[in-house]
Amino acid sequence: MADSAVVHSIDGPSGPKPRKTLSRRNIILYGTLFVVAVYYLIPLYVMLVTSVKGMPEIRMGNIFSLPLEITFEPWVKAWSQACTGLNCDGLSRGFWNSVKITVPSVVISIAIASINGYALANWRFKGANLFFTILIFGAFIPYQIMIYPLVILLRDLGLYTKLPGLILIHTIFGMPILTLLFRNYFTTIPEELFKAARVDGAGFWGIYFRVMMPMSLPIFAVAIVLQVTGIWNDFLFGVIYTKPANYPMTVQLNNIVNSVLGVKEYNVNMAATLLTGLVPLAIYFISGKLFVRGIAAGAVKG
Amino acid sequence: MLTKVQSERLFVGSVALAFVSLILATVGIKSQLFQNIQYLILLFSSLSVIWIGFKAGKFIFITNRLRKQALGWLIAATFSATLWLFAQKDIQLIFPVLKGYRKVWNTFEPFALFATVVCILFALILFIVGSRDSKLVRPGFIERSLVNNLSSKIAALPMVFTAIGVFVIATLWTVYHSFTNSRMLPKSEFVGLGQYERLWSSDRWYISIENLAIYGICSLIFSLFIGFMLAALLDQKTRFENTFRTIFLYPFALSFIVTGLVWQWILNPDYGVQKIVRSLGFDSFVFNPLYDLDIVIYGILVAGLWQGTGFIMCLMLAGLRGIDQEIWKAARVDGIPMWKTYIRIVIPMMRPVFITTLVIIAAGIIKVYDLVVAQTSGGPGISSEVPAKYVYDYMFSAQNLGQGFAASTMMLVSVLIVLIPFAYLEFGRRKHG
Amino acid sequence: MNSIEIKKLSLNFGEVVVLKDLNLTIEKGEFLVLLGASGCGKSTLLNCVAGLLDITDGQIFINGKNVTWDEPAQRGIGMVFQSYALYPQMTVKGNLSFGLKNAGLPKEEIEKRVKHASEILQIESLLDRKPAALSGGQRQRVAIGRALVRDVEVFLFDEPLSNLDAKLRTELRVEIKRLHQKLDNTMIYVTHDQIEAMTLADRIAIMRDGLIQQLDTPKKIYSNPVNKYVAGFIGSPSMNFLKGTILQNNKPIFKLEGGWCESPDLSNYIFQESIKAETQVWLGIRPESVVVGGEAENMPVNFSLEVEVFEPMGADTLVWSQIGGQEFRFMIDGNTSVNVGDRVTVGFDPAHASIFDFDNEERL
Repeated sequence: MADSAVVHSIDGPSGPKPRKTLSRRNIILYGTLFVVAVYYLIPLYVMLVTSVKGMPEIRMGNIFSLPLEITFEPWVKAWSQACTGLNCDGLSRGFWNSVKITVPSVVISIAIASINGYALANWRFKGANLFFTILIFGAFIPYQIMIYPLVILLRDLGLYTKLPGLILIHTIFGMPILTLLFRNYFTTIPEELFKAARVDGAGFWGIYFRVMMPMSLPIFAVAIVLQVTGIWNDFLFGVIYTKPANYPMTVQLNNIVNSVLGVKEYNVNMAATLLTGLVPLAIYFISGKLFVRGIAAGAVKG
Repeated sequence: MLTKVQSERLFVGSVALAFVSLILATVGIKSQLFQNIQYLILLFSSLSVIWIGFKAGKFIFITNRLRKQALGWLIAATFSATLWLFAQKDIQLIFPVLKGYRKVWNTFEPFALFATVVCILFALILFIVGSRDSKLVRPGFIERSLVNNLSSKIAALPMVFTAIGVFVIATLWTVYHSFTNSRMLPKSEFVGLGQYERLWSSDRWYISIENLAIYGICSLIFSLFIGFMLAALLDQKTRFENTFRTIFLYPFALSFIVTGLVWQWILNPDYGVQKIVRSLGFDSFVFNPLYDLDIVIYGILVAGLWQGTGFIMCLMLAGLRGIDQEIWKAARVDGIPMWKTYIRIVIPMMRPVFITTLVIIAAGIIKVYDLVVAQTSGGPGISSEVPAKYVYDYMFSAQNLGQGFAASTMMLVSVLIVLIPFAYLEFGRRKHG
Repeated sequence: MNSIEIKKLSLNFGEVVVLKDLNLTIEKGEFLVLLGASGCGKSTLLNCVAGLLDITDGQIFINGKNVTWDEPAQRGIGMVFQSYALYPQMTVKGNLSFGLKNAGLPKEEIEKRVKHASEILQIESLLDRKPAALSGGQRQRVAIGRALVRDVEVFLFDEPLSNLDAKLRTELRVEIKRLHQKLDNTMIYVTHDQIEAMTLADRIAIMRDGLIQQLDTPKKIYSNPVNKYVAGFIGSPSMNFLKGTILQNNKPIFKLEGGWCESPDLSNYIFQESIKAETQVWLGIRPESVVVGGEAENMPVNFSLEVEVFEPMGADTLVWSQIGGQEFRFMIDGNTSVNVGDRVTVGFDPAHASIFDFDNEERL
């Protein structure tokens, strides 16, 4: 490639500048990225290969090697037979519990937070900012300090250890970040649109349902992604506010894997781990940009 | 005596107090957490309302607008009064249908009684205010704060409840009870700083703090450094940027439990990295962080970094993309090498992003709990304990609430130490900008 | 009957006073333009009339009805916004009918009104499109249509043409004027563009710092500005202001500060009231009122100047020069050739000038 410059040297360089694809800079750049990417992928790979090996093979071979013989038995066992304490009905119970917790929590928390954000962005009233500041501050305060009074609250409401109680907790703790998300989004919608709707005679709810909500579908998607992953992955609240029969999947997974009873079946453990991770992973890969947007919007502007 | 404005302020103050007492009552139903302080407040606020009502003078006709609002409050009062009636035994005898739901009614009973009083109070306020304001050309201060924008105020109630009723009150409650000798149940016997003395003389708490400090400092430094490097690498108009970003970020979608369990497996001495290296011929190779008292926290750190750096990279990338592209053009024209542009120009420009990221990481670090539980359960021994786990164990396993409260108060204090200067900076910056 | 009456209107944002004790009466069918620099309170005033801002004090009447506390939709107004403010997820038809649906009108009536409005504005073919598929001019037409279907007495325009390019702006300006002639509604139109104001208005209200400086016909505002601010704001290129003193012998004579030996005679100028001898003043004369050459020598005021900079603008050329150290601009015919350094004789008739007090800048 260097000669081409020499050939044309009589009239000087002309035309497009020759591009070097294998420059030192590119080798360093892509080399580094590649190595880091491998590091990030190893755990996923290990999880996957371990979960399809049989126990004898795990004892003999190393964790990085590909399985000699693929078996799905660990997956079946993790889903329907793995034991936590005396219960041996596998992760499926935790899975359905998690579904029962996540779906209502997501719906309720988003409904409340979006209306809140809308009221804050468009119908400012005195004192609103004070409450909002407290709310945002609350997002940074360690949950540990609020845990016990909430246990008392739930106990008084008769919801302690029950699923509705946990749903209430998720709604409360999801509120700061979601309210922030929606408030920030609604403030970017031109104020004139809101004014036009008022001139057109739409009231508080009319503007929300007929004008604002249809315009904000992307941010609702972002909020859903954010909440589903957040609530699905929660461990602390699950372990505190529910009882074993109602444990969400993460808690049950931890109990299965870290159980001191019985022989350790690493392949079943990894299958269970992967199963628990599948829902957020699926959401992550499907939502793509929305996920990034959600965590960035939730965090940077905080 | 009082000017009109002052009496109005007082009036609104009483209404606010009534609200506070309502919330206190909600939190304190049955458990009598606040020793009936809410009734005292309510008494005070009703007295001042009635007093100002007398001062308001003659009762004239009320405007239409106000009548509607007052009616609304009265309807709400009737509703909650009905709810309260349902919980009364005599009523339940008359309507046996109600008995089936006895538990629900009983739960709501004190709340309903309270709500009835508050709603009647509000209706009363509006009648009194209305009688006075109907003479005015403009709505008075009270009417404006109570009636205007009512829908948005109602819509914001959940937020107000969360902010005040949960975040503020629950925090104060815990701090208050950290000075008591509560064990299985919260008590009000004060022991001064006793719980804190015990806390700071316990080995387990020291180890927790030390672990948190190591974990915190290392993960701050490494995640900022790695996150920024990765972001800078991806910002070179890199091909496959999306693919790389997807790979770096996916661990963030996984829970700490999953992360902890995977790394527990990889670092397993009998099957994981140690075994593989040994099988390559290095028989004395030792890499066994999870079972080594001194370095166990670094094993947790590796997993934490794997999970979180992708997120930091994303924040940094957003920060880099937010920088004016003309800066790069200017630097190129001026012949400044790229690394120098980054260090001298770009990083200083990204100061706000760094500060925000720092706060986010710091707030996250203090909460570290799940990762430790999944990876080591605090072991071996107590060598990988962290404060959040200390709190949980004392509250829910050791049945020593006072210790848990004191430890969580210490966590709060450390967060505030980080947060308050940040809020101050942020606030100051906004004021200037 | 008065269409809109604003009495003692005040608006404060916390400590900041935005509008102060403002009174304004608009007749039925009148086209009133609120003109001013940004931040003068003109849009705020319009929002108060629309009911989009809660006022601090005063009253607003529309068609004789006190609407001070009414919701925007109850006031009998239609409003057109700068950014069009079309609902992006609704079709053009949905946009037009949204307000009518909220008011609970029967279907046939809605159909009828939408049809009527779209005929007037020639947007029938666009009814099923979404706003994103429209051009800027079409969008603004739909926005006007949204006000039109409401069948109201009063139209409020908030800088409706500012987002359009120059050519479209001229076209739509004419169209708005035509619409006004056809419908004969009361219109309040906010703008910062003086050409729009001059061409559209029956009366112009020039605002500054929340106060109306002058409320009058465009012609009157152009020829008889009440103070130096209005004089400088209206007219392009803007008025020349010469600092000096008026000496009173048997006739008023202007003495320019820093030179100019002849003492020009201001007898032709009509003073509001007789003035004291030796009053410090600003003498304002519009560049287009200045004549040159032979014609200038016949004027009561004339002098010669050196050309410093000239800007050909097609039909005319704007010449910049100085007199007695003060800047002076005037227009010459675009076909006259002129060079830097030329000396030109210029003159004007004081009857076309405006004289303002030096201290309070009010017209004398």
